[in-house]
Amino acid sequence: MNGRIIFVFFLLALFTAMGVQGRQKQWIIGMSQCNLGEPWRVQMNADIKKAAEAHPNVSVVFKDAQNDNLRQSAHVGEFVRAGVDLIIISPKEAVPLTRPVREAYQKGIPVIVLDRKVQGNDFTCFIGADNKKIGRAAGKWIAALRGGEGNVVELKGLMTSTPGQDRHSGFREGIRSSAMKIVFEADMKWLEPNARKEMESALARYNAIDVVYAHNDPGAHGAYLAAKASGREASMTFIGIDGLPHEGQMYVKQGILSASFEYPTGGREAIETALSILNGRQVPKEITLKSRVFTGDNIDKGGALLEE
Amino acid sequence: MVGLIFHADGAFFQWDTHRDMLRQISVFGILACGMTLVIICGGIDLAVGSLLGLTAVLFSLFSIHWAWPAAVAILVCLIVGFLLGAASGGLIARFSIQPFIATLAMMVLGRGLAKLVSGGQKISTAVQLQDGSYEYVEVPSILNTLGERVFDDNIAIVTLLLVGCILTLWAFLSFTRWGRYLYAIGGNEEAARLSGIPVAWMKTLSYALCGMFCALAGICQAAQELQGDPEAGVGYELTAIAIVVIGGTSLRGGTGSIWLTMLGILTIGYLEKILSINAIGEETRLILSGLIIVFAVLVQRRNPRFV
Repeated sequence: MNGRIIFVFFLLALFTAMGVQGRQKQWIIGMSQCNLGEPWRVQMNADIKKAAEAHPNVSVVFKDAQNDNLRQSAHVGEFVRAGVDLIIISPKEAVPLTRPVREAYQKGIPVIVLDRKVQGNDFTCFIGADNKKIGRAAGKWIAALRGGEGNVVELKGLMTSTPGQDRHSGFREGIRSSAMKIVFEADMKWLEPNARKEMESALARYNAIDVVYAHNDPGAHGAYLAAKASGREASMTFIGIDGLPHEGQMYVKQGILSASFEYPTGGREAIETALSILNGRQVPKEITLKSRVFTGDNIDKGGALLEE
Repeated sequence: MVGLIFHADGAFFQWDTHRDMLRQISVFGILACGMTLVIICGGIDLAVGSLLGLTAVLFSLFSIHWAWPAAVAILVCLIVGFLLGAASGGLIARFSIQPFIATLAMMVLGRGLAKLVSGGQKISTAVQLQDGSYEYVEVPSILNTLGERVFDDNIAIVTLLLVGCILTLWAFLSFTRWGRYLYAIGGNEEAARLSGIPVAWMKTLSYALCGMFCALAGICQAAQELQGDPEAGVGYELTAIAIVVIGGTSLRGGTGSIWLTMLGILTIGYLEKILSINAIGEETRLILSGLIIVFAVLVQRRNPRFV
């Protein structure tokens, strides 16, 4: 009799344990990052990690393709073979990564594409921000601030890259209706030391510079250091893009930049979307991230959303 | 070229332009000083850019985040540079690994260490706290001092450091026995060995000193950026090699001098400055740089006095 009761209890305990396990299904997400050599992408991974930590039943496996399409393509294959529940990929380039993403998607693994697109429709959801919009917002913002006038130095990221082209053309659209004039423009290849070098040249040539628009915050910071070294920083307005906490936001807080326009990483949104997908909910095919502007006035309140 | 110089609204004829050029090239120049030593001794060092990145990160970490006294921070960075350089040198001298391979390994390893120490993010005045928020600290005075200019604002401190490096190396290469040993080893290693020169030690020393120059360059880089960037110095090794070679020091070793390297520093410095004040597009810059490097090498080769 006693033995039978113990047996029943044992069975009950076993079922309960199984039930708990069933409810607490562990999700494994594979995250393929194209290049951790960029602070913005390091931040993206950090955002994903932080968002995932809030969900004890989610674990994320990170892979870094070190700026190599073929390596990233291999990473996607590895995730598929490892049987992950969902893949997040921030692809290096669209064309070479379309096929591995399609293959994973067709095997029934949901794929979230972050920041840069792949071709076609064979993925679950694309999450990204719009560089052109951000550039346009920066142009409008600075035109309003300077009363529609002023000489601008534009320090471009790299005009052979899409973000560089979009941040350039968007800005031009933003200031088109004003009398602002671009007096000097140069590629600084997203790098601070180059930005400083180019700014020194601009300073040597032009006595009247009112605004420096750099395609990223380190570029704006480098330009500021150059202007400061010649004692001319006080008469200029510096603005940059990206708005990372330890870069753009810090420069705004220190009064170095007048504004930094956030280019959101989408890390948090990717995890939220991933959980929706895994829990069987419908998600939109494309999510455009809202971007914030950080200025001296709003930095302590966490910036203000850009309206478009 | 002359047309270009005159085009830039007269910017070329202001001392500021030259001062800024000298500041901008200083870090590369200091790397090229170390590279000169290694190349004279018949080697090559691909790790200089990574070691610059690593020491820039370490120096920022020590002085900004940990608030170490300046002298200690600098000393520790120089020692790290010296030891990592000695490690490459040791591999080359003791285990007969080709310099290209050994320093390639050190280049990758050094970059990895820089990313590890910094967590992949720039070490700046924003210090991340336990809860993920940021606290902002003051820039330590040593960084500001090293990034300053002196003599009535006419010359950058980093340029003076470069001049110091050049003079020290000149004295070392011309007036010390060790300096002459390096030439002898680069010229004919076997003959040097047979005449009783401690070849392995001298080779190791050349890489170790090169590592120390990298550390100095890293400190200067951090001081000028007011932060330590783990990605700093990517590709700098090629510029440093170009500077040495354009000057006229042979990659075969055994010849060359620090004055030739200085010539190379000025060539590359002015080339970049002139292209920059004229806001030449990136594509044209790359093409012109390539052509001018070839041109410069051909010109210096016709002058046998230097070869």
